[in-house]
Amino acid sequence: MTHFTKLTTAAALLLGTAGAAWADGHSVSLTPGEEINMVLLPKFLGILVFDQANEGAQEAHAELGNIGELLFVGPTPENSTAGQIEIMTTSATQGQGAVMISNNAGDQIVPSAVAAQAAGTRVVTWDSPIPSGEGEDVFVAQVDFASMGIVMADMAHSILGGAGQMAVLSATPDASNQNAWIAAMEVALEDEKYAGIELVDIVYGDDQAEVSYNRALALVDQYPDLGVIMSPTTVGIQAAAKAMQDEGLCDKVRVSGLGLPSEMVSYTMNGCAPEFALWDFRDLGYLTYYTAYGLASGQMTGEIGETFNAGRMGDFTIEEDPGRPGSSRILMGPFTVYTAENVEAASN
Amino acid sequence: MLSRVPPQTLRILALLLVLFAVLLFFSTQVPNYLNGRLFNRISSSVAIMALIACGQTLVILTRNIDLSIGSTVGFVAFATGSLITNNPDIPPLVLATYSVLLGACFGVVNGLLVAYARIPSIIVTLGTMALFRSALVEYSDAKSITTNNLPTWLVEFPNTQLFTIGTFQFRAAFVVAVLVVFAVHIALTRLRPARKIYAVGSNPEAAEMAGINTKLVVFFTFVLAGALAGLAGFMFLARFGTITVVAGLGFELKSVASAVVGGVNIFGGSGSVIGALIGAILVDLIDMSLVRWQLVSEFWREAVLGSLILLSVAADAILMRRLVKWRVAREKKQTKSGVSS
Repeated sequence: MTHFTKLTTAAALLLGTAGAAWADGHSVSLTPGEEINMVLLPKFLGILVFDQANEGAQEAHAELGNIGELLFVGPTPENSTAGQIEIMTTSATQGQGAVMISNNAGDQIVPSAVAAQAAGTRVVTWDSPIPSGEGEDVFVAQVDFASMGIVMADMAHSILGGAGQMAVLSATPDASNQNAWIAAMEVALEDEKYAGIELVDIVYGDDQAEVSYNRALALVDQYPDLGVIMSPTTVGIQAAAKAMQDEGLCDKVRVSGLGLPSEMVSYTMNGCAPEFALWDFRDLGYLTYYTAYGLASGQMTGEIGETFNAGRMGDFTIEEDPGRPGSSRILMGPFTVYTAENVEAASN
Repeated sequence: MLSRVPPQTLRILALLLVLFAVLLFFSTQVPNYLNGRLFNRISSSVAIMALIACGQTLVILTRNIDLSIGSTVGFVAFATGSLITNNPDIPPLVLATYSVLLGACFGVVNGLLVAYARIPSIIVTLGTMALFRSALVEYSDAKSITTNNLPTWLVEFPNTQLFTIGTFQFRAAFVVAVLVVFAVHIALTRLRPARKIYAVGSNPEAAEMAGINTKLVVFFTFVLAGALAGLAGFMFLARFGTITVVAGLGFELKSVASAVVGGVNIFGGSGSVIGALIGAILVDLIDMSLVRWQLVSEFWREAVLGSLILLSVAADAILMRRLVKWRVAREKKQTKSGVSS
């Protein structure tokens, strides 16, 4: 199994292919047309990438001919944690077949998720997992978290020309995906290749434009030699790039991280954010839906080693999550690194 | 000389002292702190909060509170952004007027419910805060406004340098906000209809007996607060460019904090919008300095911000009391000496 995990990771990392098919294994093909009610639960409503995930899930919903309902419900932004717990609890009471959640509540979601599982509701996480893995059937990972760390380190390396100061502008302090990526990047930075890069600070913009904007400027004021702000969140990277542009700092401080091409195109073209990465959220929603449908309809067991077919995206295998021992994940991959060469095409 | 200064001015002097102390403290803690850049950061960032705090002050003066103001800012920012995205040729003044009027409409809802349906403002605006925010979530359809779709004049407006003094840049957004606050201040201190706001806040019964239409006054303060929030929404859009449904989240509490720190009495009747402006500057300064203070971790910052706000308010109150006492004592002494001579 470890051998396979390594293989998949390496494949995703080096070749940029999606979780490779398991040549000898048996792949579960899902029977369409079952009636399963499901809930897609984002961190909160009103953020473009989550809506894209919903589009992908709706596509899979139609494709699998599920007679049941797919609900896209989420908390309002100011109520994210409590709202997610409430929706999880309600879904269990309603007897939903599966809840697909991008967890923004850290381990606080665990009791309600465990209760949901006990009530027969499958809990599939996507985008952001439950840190302890408790109460979770499987995590659909958009990208291998360790390789995400390397990608961020590489982008910083290329922007800084090998040496300089970097600061991180993250989302909320308890967003488990961002925290895992930052931790992975810190591990990656220990490599000799990145010896010239100094990580000077990690600040949080709460995924709000105005907070992120001000945090980015505070970083620049605090560290006069700062070369790059790494923001692994679509809200943060955009706000930081705008702040640097507004203050005319783009030739000194560059911005990088995870961003949406449509929001970042002007900053990439004018050099404020020369490189950033992202994966396809539609695909993520699509794959998550297939996984949840398979589990909730009883066609999949969710055991490690199980391979299934996810429609247009091909075969995927459930494996142990290297970042969270004892938990399982499905690795989607790949992501795209955007530069001035490909960003314009992707932004339309 | 101090004895001739009115209490409101005294309060502002005390606030400025506290502001100065905070600056001094952080300059010993944070490297590269005291410079023109700090002024530019704070002034550009406070431009939005100054308008909101000003609106909040008007409402608080009448013994009410507006918790929906942050949601109003968010909605107006989004709606204005969506209007200009679809009709890029709208002239600047028309667009700003649209923002102000839209904000005022939200104020009308609050005002009607508070003044005429006689529901306590904290309940009304707690409800409308959620309502306006949910309306935004619905209206936005999970899209966001992005900078590239906005006209250049709008994006460049807040950072246009009108004039500079040394390394201090005076940018358009800040200047506009300060001008608006001063205009409101002059109205509140000089204009008869605006003085009614103080009358209603100090003693509603007496105001009623004096022939003031208290309901109308309360209604109008909510509409004005909404209009100011609308203008703030316009500035928010211009400054940040990207508007999502979280825009303006938490502004309601920050505006109340700014007003209260600025010496506006939470029970109504006394306070000034200039005070609220300085309060907004103080809150912003503390917030921004804390981010740069290495001693305080992310998780403690909110707590430290809260404590510092309490400390500033307490210091301000104590300073005020001292000054008043000292003045009373001096006046007594003077009258005594006047009698004896």
